[in-house]
Amino acid sequence: MKARTELLAAAAVVAFFAAAPYLAPLVHLDISIVSEVLVTAIAVMSVNLLLGYTGLPAFGNAAYFGLGAYGAALSVQYLGFHFIEAILAGTVLAFVGGLILAPFLLRRRGIYFGLLSIAFGQVFYFIAYRDTDLTGGEDGMTITRPYFGLPSAHVAIHELSFYYIALVAFILALLAFRSVVRSPFGRTLVAIRQNEARVRFLGLNSDRFIFVALLISATMAGVSGALFALLINFAYPLELDWHQSGYFVLSMILGGAGTIWGSLAGAFIYVVGKDIISTITPLWQIFLGALFVACVLGFPRGLLGSLAALFTRSTTRSDTDANAAFDAHASAEINVGP
Amino acid sequence: MIHDLAPQIFNGLVLGAFYAIVGIGLSLIMNLTGTINMAHGSFMTLAGYLAFTMVSRGTSFWFALIAAPLIAVVVGILVERTFGLSLMAEEVYRLVWGANGVPFSPPPGLASAVSLGFMSFPKFRIFIVAVLVVAIVALALFLTRTRFGLRLRAAVQDTEMIAALGTNTQLLYAVNFGLGIFLAGIAGVLAAGMLGLSPTSGNALLMPAFVTVIIGGMGSLFGSIVGGLLIGMTISLTTLWIPAASEVSMYVLMALVLMIRPRGLFGEEGIFG
Repeated sequence: MKARTELLAAAAVVAFFAAAPYLAPLVHLDISIVSEVLVTAIAVMSVNLLLGYTGLPAFGNAAYFGLGAYGAALSVQYLGFHFIEAILAGTVLAFVGGLILAPFLLRRRGIYFGLLSIAFGQVFYFIAYRDTDLTGGEDGMTITRPYFGLPSAHVAIHELSFYYIALVAFILALLAFRSVVRSPFGRTLVAIRQNEARVRFLGLNSDRFIFVALLISATMAGVSGALFALLINFAYPLELDWHQSGYFVLSMILGGAGTIWGSLAGAFIYVVGKDIISTITPLWQIFLGALFVACVLGFPRGLLGSLAALFTRSTTRSDTDANAAFDAHASAEINVGP
Repeated sequence: MIHDLAPQIFNGLVLGAFYAIVGIGLSLIMNLTGTINMAHGSFMTLAGYLAFTMVSRGTSFWFALIAAPLIAVVVGILVERTFGLSLMAEEVYRLVWGANGVPFSPPPGLASAVSLGFMSFPKFRIFIVAVLVVAIVALALFLTRTRFGLRLRAAVQDTEMIAALGTNTQLLYAVNFGLGIFLAGIAGVLAAGMLGLSPTSGNALLMPAFVTVIIGGMGSLFGSIVGGLLIGMTISLTTLWIPAASEVSMYVLMALVLMIRPRGLFGEEGIFG
């Protein structure tokens, strides 16, 4: 995408979301649902970095998401943290979780990485589930949304102000994500996905790159989880469950793996789709599952990936269907041969 | 002491046999296609419910034990596997068979317990172990002693080469997938008789099966057996001694194994290495 087109598109998207509090009521959508879209998009980005760009099946990111949620909720409940401090607490907890798991995941590739991510993620699920005194166990823990602590005053955060906080958080996360994947570091991650042996031949220690990518991913998922807990004023064990990771992965595939804006598109389909379907029928899982299957069949490269392919009419075949459009771009610089 | 310990050790063996057989099914599919079958648990539940329906309509348990997994295989091959699918499956089960668990009791001949002198043990559990052992031995013979099994193992090593040599790899994939589902189906029916049946019951067995594959080492059938038994024992002994840690214990075991053997106990390329 040309720089100017991208800037215009980005401005349009941001303007759309800035106006969303006025648009959402027109389609009977609660603004907190749109907040959830933005918050979820951050978690989907964290999966995208590992799976879409680096090619590592990140089926365990719910662990970091849940750690973020519980970190925020626990710090509000027991330490009386304010809004920003609570988000930081959640993020730090997720980062530490990433530090603990990274040594186990670092050298694994392919499905082995996926299995280990799932399995280790479940440990946190069962800790939250079992430790009833601290976390409320299966019932989860309800919190009161903390004040925004300013030096002079404590400001209560209502749904609308929360929405704009989420929007700012999303834009910051997107900018960070974009600069990571556009950097030489991010390009190396793509190169690892395409041909790790070649990366090693070039003298780069791919494990080290993956280590950093894992930590970035865990941190982003943590931010998302912390925001989510403060959005719904609730933290519950299922946030840590591997099904949650599955939703993130599917949202990423829906939106477009290996694309910068795909995470937002995927989160939008998933969250809004779930909300609309669940108000119509209690059997929302059937339809959500059907929506996923249909989207994967209809847009094998994800919504954005398919759109991009339509515009660029890319003829280059790449190793992953999911992000051929991005690959065609990147492979021109990185990958010389098959 | 022995009166507490012995039954738990036997229970651990039974659980372990379940994990082993589900793990082997997962392993088979993983080895050939390189994908994690997220819907594996759903097929277990499906077979369990099908058996339940058959038995409550008056067919014999023995017929259901074979027929229900076979139907699950047909469904499995028709719909293939995705995570989206397993989401749908759970809801469909809820719709057809209700959200609450249904009772599913073993056949009358197996309902009693046998006395082993120092303890008594339900016959059905002994039967479960016997069936699972037969299934595993049959699979091992199939993979090592038949031409088809040989092709299957060859395809794991190099699918393109096997295709170039004139083997119908589509068929190979289908049979392999079917085998995995069939094993899951048998485990599903047996588990229904022992642990009960609810829309999510299959998925509860799925996570230990993942860990089984990791501990045993991917690609190793023998590894899955050892891994399954180890986990079964670990879970049932921690349930006895430290009940609060019963769910987490297998993950601790997994972490320990991986520190010593990063690829799992018997991790190698290919089904038998």
